[in-house]
Amino acid sequence: MKATKAVVTAASPAHRTLPLQTLVDRDGQPRSVLEILLREIQSAGIEDVCLIIHPGDEEAYRDAARGLGINLSFVEQRERLGYGHALSLAHDFLKGEAFFHTVCDHLFISRDPDRSCARQLVEHASRAGTAMSAVQSTRETEIHLYGAVSGVLTRSTGAEPVYQIRDVIEKPTPTEAEQKLIVPGLRAGQYLTFFGMHVLTPLVMELLRESVQTARSQGGQPNVQLSPVLSELARREQYGAVVVQGSRHHISLKYGLFYTQLALALHGSDKPDVLTELVQLLARSHQ
Amino acid sequence: MESALLPLITSPDEAVRNRSLDRICREANREKLLDECRLLDRFRQHSTNLYETVRALFFLHSIFRFHLPEKPGLRPDGLIPFGGYVHLLERRFPEAIETFWQSAAEHGWSGTLCSALAKAYHQLAFQTLADQVRTSVRSVPGNQWMFRLGHPKDQPLEIRPELLTASGNLFPVLTERTPVRMDLTHSAWSDIFFLGMDFPEGARVINVSVNLGIRGRDATPEPPIESFFRVIDEPVVRLVSVDLESHRDIRDLDEIFDYAADYLGLLKAALVASGLVPPGLEGSGQKLTDLLSRLVGPRRGIELVSHVRGIPKGSRLAVSTNLLASLISLCMRATGQTRNLEGPLEESARRLVAARAILGEWLGGSGGGWQDSGGIWPGIKLIRGRASAEGDAEFGISRGRLMPDHEILCPPRLDAAIAEKLQQSLVVVHGGMAQNVGPILEMVTEKYLVRSEREWTARREAVTLLDEVLEGLRSGDIRRLGQTTTRNFFGPLQTIIPWCSNRFTERLIARSREVFGEDFWGFWMLGGMAGGGMGFIFAPEVKPRAQEWLQGEMKAVKTELEQALPFAIDPVVYDFTINQNGTFASLRTGSDAILNRNYYQFMLPYLVRQDPKSLSRCRHSELQLIGEVCRADEAYRALVPEIFRRLFPETGEVKAQSSLFALLEGNGFDPVQHEQVRADLRAGRIGLAQNRLPGRTRIEDVAPTEIDDFTRNTRRTKIDRECGEAALARGEIAVVTLAAGAGSRWTQGAGVVKALHPFCKFAGIHRSFLETHLAKSRRTGQTHGSFPPHIFTTSYLTDSALRAFLASHRHFDYPGQVILSPGRSIGLRLVPMERDLRYAWEELPQQTLDEQAQKVRESAHSALINWARTAGEGSDYTDNLPSQCLHPVGHWYEVPNLLLNGTLAQLLAHQPSVKHLLLHNIDTVGAGLDPALFGRHIASGSTLSFEVISRQIDDRGGGLAKVDGHLELVEGLAMPREEAEFALSYYNTMTTWISIDGLLGTFGLDRADLANPVRTQEAVRSLARRMPTYVTLKDVKKRWGSGQEDVFPVTQFEKLWSDMTKLRELSCRFFLVPRPRGQQLKEQAQLDGWLRDGSAARVESLCAW
Repeated sequence: MKATKAVVTAASPAHRTLPLQTLVDRDGQPRSVLEILLREIQSAGIEDVCLIIHPGDEEAYRDAARGLGINLSFVEQRERLGYGHALSLAHDFLKGEAFFHTVCDHLFISRDPDRSCARQLVEHASRAGTAMSAVQSTRETEIHLYGAVSGVLTRSTGAEPVYQIRDVIEKPTPTEAEQKLIVPGLRAGQYLTFFGMHVLTPLVMELLRESVQTARSQGGQPNVQLSPVLSELARREQYGAVVVQGSRHHISLKYGLFYTQLALALHGSDKPDVLTELVQLLARSHQ
Repeated sequence: MESALLPLITSPDEAVRNRSLDRICREANREKLLDECRLLDRFRQHSTNLYETVRALFFLHSIFRFHLPEKPGLRPDGLIPFGGYVHLLERRFPEAIETFWQSAAEHGWSGTLCSALAKAYHQLAFQTLADQVRTSVRSVPGNQWMFRLGHPKDQPLEIRPELLTASGNLFPVLTERTPVRMDLTHSAWSDIFFLGMDFPEGARVINVSVNLGIRGRDATPEPPIESFFRVIDEPVVRLVSVDLESHRDIRDLDEIFDYAADYLGLLKAALVASGLVPPGLEGSGQKLTDLLSRLVGPRRGIELVSHVRGIPKGSRLAVSTNLLASLISLCMRATGQTRNLEGPLEESARRLVAARAILGEWLGGSGGGWQDSGGIWPGIKLIRGRASAEGDAEFGISRGRLMPDHEILCPPRLDAAIAEKLQQSLVVVHGGMAQNVGPILEMVTEKYLVRSEREWTARREAVTLLDEVLEGLRSGDIRRLGQTTTRNFFGPLQTIIPWCSNRFTERLIARSREVFGEDFWGFWMLGGMAGGGMGFIFAPEVKPRAQEWLQGEMKAVKTELEQALPFAIDPVVYDFTINQNGTFASLRTGSDAILNRNYYQFMLPYLVRQDPKSLSRCRHSELQLIGEVCRADEAYRALVPEIFRRLFPETGEVKAQSSLFALLEGNGFDPVQHEQVRADLRAGRIGLAQNRLPGRTRIEDVAPTEIDDFTRNTRRTKIDRECGEAALARGEIAVVTLAAGAGSRWTQGAGVVKALHPFCKFAGIHRSFLETHLAKSRRTGQTHGSFPPHIFTTSYLTDSALRAFLASHRHFDYPGQVILSPGRSIGLRLVPMERDLRYAWEELPQQTLDEQAQKVRESAHSALINWARTAGEGSDYTDNLPSQCLHPVGHWYEVPNLLLNGTLAQLLAHQPSVKHLLLHNIDTVGAGLDPALFGRHIASGSTLSFEVISRQIDDRGGGLAKVDGHLELVEGLAMPREEAEFALSYYNTMTTWISIDGLLGTFGLDRADLANPVRTQEAVRSLARRMPTYVTLKDVKKRWGSGQEDVFPVTQFEKLWSDMTKLRELSCRFFLVPRPRGQQLKEQAQLDGWLRDGSAARVESLCAW
């Protein structure tokens, strides 16, 4: 499944300023979060990106991404109908093509010096010819924060194991996880949770639009989510998951931006300086 | 050698596997059986299949308990290695078994060693099963994560947002209402986990969820269980049991795992099993406030409340399991572990709640069957055991899974109007009896796993009866249903466990037949045994009359039998409806966010005593709201007088105290001696440790040549018999049966008259100990031409009940004299010293329990020590019914009482030919006037001839010994060292042949002196001073609420008859008698083995009814 386009959702009112924050990247360069994220996408060979934003944010985002050489499109989410609804607004941009998708409050750091996380995912999706989500093994004490999948191992050769997804559950309790999400081969108490990036097929857009219509017809305040749609996708199509070699950093959590900066620094060229400073800080804090 | 028994365990052919062990063992000789035992023992050590291992263990138990002792060639006496015994106590069963086998190799096989091995294999079998259930419970998907979590920061559960938003300082209240379950088939106990896992095909029950109301009290039947969950603005876990009237604010994490510290164990188990406080946090040293902060936010806490609507304990409706399930469901809903916050549960959630309830029961040290949480499902369902398959934790280990399958029955498998038809015909009652069903469940397990012939056939029949019940439900034929359940009760169930029925139940059934004739359609036993929850099925047109009649009849029969059987409450009749929801939740918010009336009735008196400034903002708002509700709502307004009643209770206690003092005064209580005893106890001059003989005392075993052996017939036996027969014909003996006790161990301190307990069916009728002993005397009279006088000694506990019982049965038409000898001595129990409790529980060897049960026991011990401290060590124990506060002062006084109360004088005046007495305990049912023993006693010329038996593993409490060279009976509590008892071959039965003139001489009296009470009194006092006084701990039950019971250890003092052997001037002999004659029945759990080993049949052969 070759993805040449990407959709990034950034419309949540609570997180709309996060992509505009400045961090120092692995090369020691100050960049906005958005720019770091778009570089990640660009490294996977994708040049057309659609950003789903909160109304009125386009100018600030264009500024934050200036000079990257990526074709950016913007779609505003005017109704707050949930994450799934935001993603569905890229329908016209995608024109029935497969696409790469990530969210604006995550950054990724690859352990493979030659391949970014996004590139690993796109390569696997391309090889498998199916939709594919990046996943990582997560302790049961944290799975209530993520979407989680159950599946069977289909390819264990190479550094990145690939699974066939059977079911998707959004933020499960450990009880539910133990009953429905056990994945053979993982350690006890470990589950596969979404890494925060996916390569998805056009069917996902159709399912999202159906979900939005259904939610509207039911009245009330709809909250359309992506996970039920991905669960349905797993029933309708081959849908894979790959454990990418890298780490995910959730900048919207408490201290998220700080931890992300720390991770970037410890994986980058300034690592010795940062470590030295940390040790000194530690020493002083215990005086 | 090829084993004949192993194929019964390992064969793939079911017909071979289901062959009876007993049949093969009967045909084998001793050597062959021992060879089989060696093979079975080797097999059980190497088998990896749990059920094959367990069956081998039960086979070994059965062979050593029932078959080997029957084979000729065993030594009549033997010793139990003390090391092996200690291994047993500390649950090191394999080591114990090895020790006993080694002892057999060194000293030869004896009945004593067989008993030790039987016990060791029996306990190892149950331990292995319990371990497997524990592993399975923890392995159920959805339960495992809770055991891995060890820090509050790792707690992944969060309280649902709907519960965290306060409105006007009131947090929403989540309420769960849960029905209880009835078992429509009685499953022949096949819902025991072990059995469902062994034979899943046979584990089937039809289980109905019901709402209940007590007839005459409740307007309509409702779900009897209600539980509540809410967030509070104090950083504590507040637990409230409304019906048990107990509440506690918990601030320390460890307190949550202390299940027996108070009456809130079930709520604590629910918190843990639901994952709110995961079991992995036990002993983690973490703070409860950190966990609460993670769950509900800083400075907040949780309140969990349970309420059972007055359903008495022992209802056989699985109230406690369903309450636990209700609480767990509530907590799981609150933490988003179920999809539905409100309404019924989804099927997957019900299964999970059921699995968690099993976990909770295991944590709390209790246990039920796998159908017991059936109340969380709706309506009528078929619950079936399921074969384990690949992927199950049990696969390859047991044939069945831990968790059964539930199928909710609906048309066409069910008649559309069945619910209504059942409601129109079935009368559900609680007979008032509350008994421990645990021993019965062990008996069933053992019998099924060894495939005992009759029991296995009966079980097969019970399986087919379930199909008949299903057919009755499908066709709506309630009459047929009643016939089937009755057939089940009198057929398979009583064949498997005769003890599941009792005289009370069978009287009610017989009376129902008499009064209602064809309109009485049948009886239906609920749960493990009859007497508590029961069903009577009537034609619909007579049901209202039958309800009314049963209410009165149960009360009347209970009144007649209440001294004989352990009744906990007055019988009640229920109204019931079938619950079509299962467990069901609703959320109360805003001004509806209050709990039920019973909660406030219990909590308000406590809250009004608090300083208003100490109450939290939420409590303030809640109380203001309750004030408004009281103004507007008539039902709540009725709270006010109730609160005053609780604030200023009536002085019932004063009345109870005056009745106690009257009893003391009327029964020979000596206050001066009592104060002396108290002072000695408090000063440490007497106590459990001081009962022991000095450490330097030499205790040695007695050689067989020093006693008379009656286990074998000899030429001498014949001579003795002829001598005894002649004396019997001359009317030279009377029987004295000790019937002053309440049989503390028999009914775990329930305080019934043991002599009147209808313990066993003989000639088709439940007979009491008293009737059985009279029947033996009758047989003696019929055989020898002279009916011996029969004396029953009584006490304040038993005198009036025995008199009334004998009068109402016209002395069972016994042709000889029947005399009651009332007690003349009484003591007042004391609150124990902490020192004695610690000595009993920490220094004396104790049977260690299974892991979780042991934790619960230690927690209970710590609570009881605290009770002793707060109640006042050594103070009078008066906080119970007066009869439970008094105690007889030991059986030594029973014989002097015959002198003091004129019984002996009356006997001799009426029948001067009497020269001897046969004294025995009420529970030595095999004792009787054996001519050979009597003849030897006469011929020996001794004053007292004591009967002893070869020791077995459970014969604890002393024995026959040479004490510094003198032959004496030594009480267990007087043994200078624990292991000394294990060097003794013979155990005291208490049965004593007494020469009257010799005995009088020992007191310094003769027959003429019996007419002189002053002289007699002085003689008794004089001898009493020479007898040691022992301090003992006794368990007494305190009943309260709806059949709830607490057991307290209390201190009392005793002088014991066997110490007469210490008197050097007294001539004593000792007779070794066969075990069936000397065996005492101390616990009801012994009955089944006693029946199976032929002892019951032997007793029956001695009786004439």
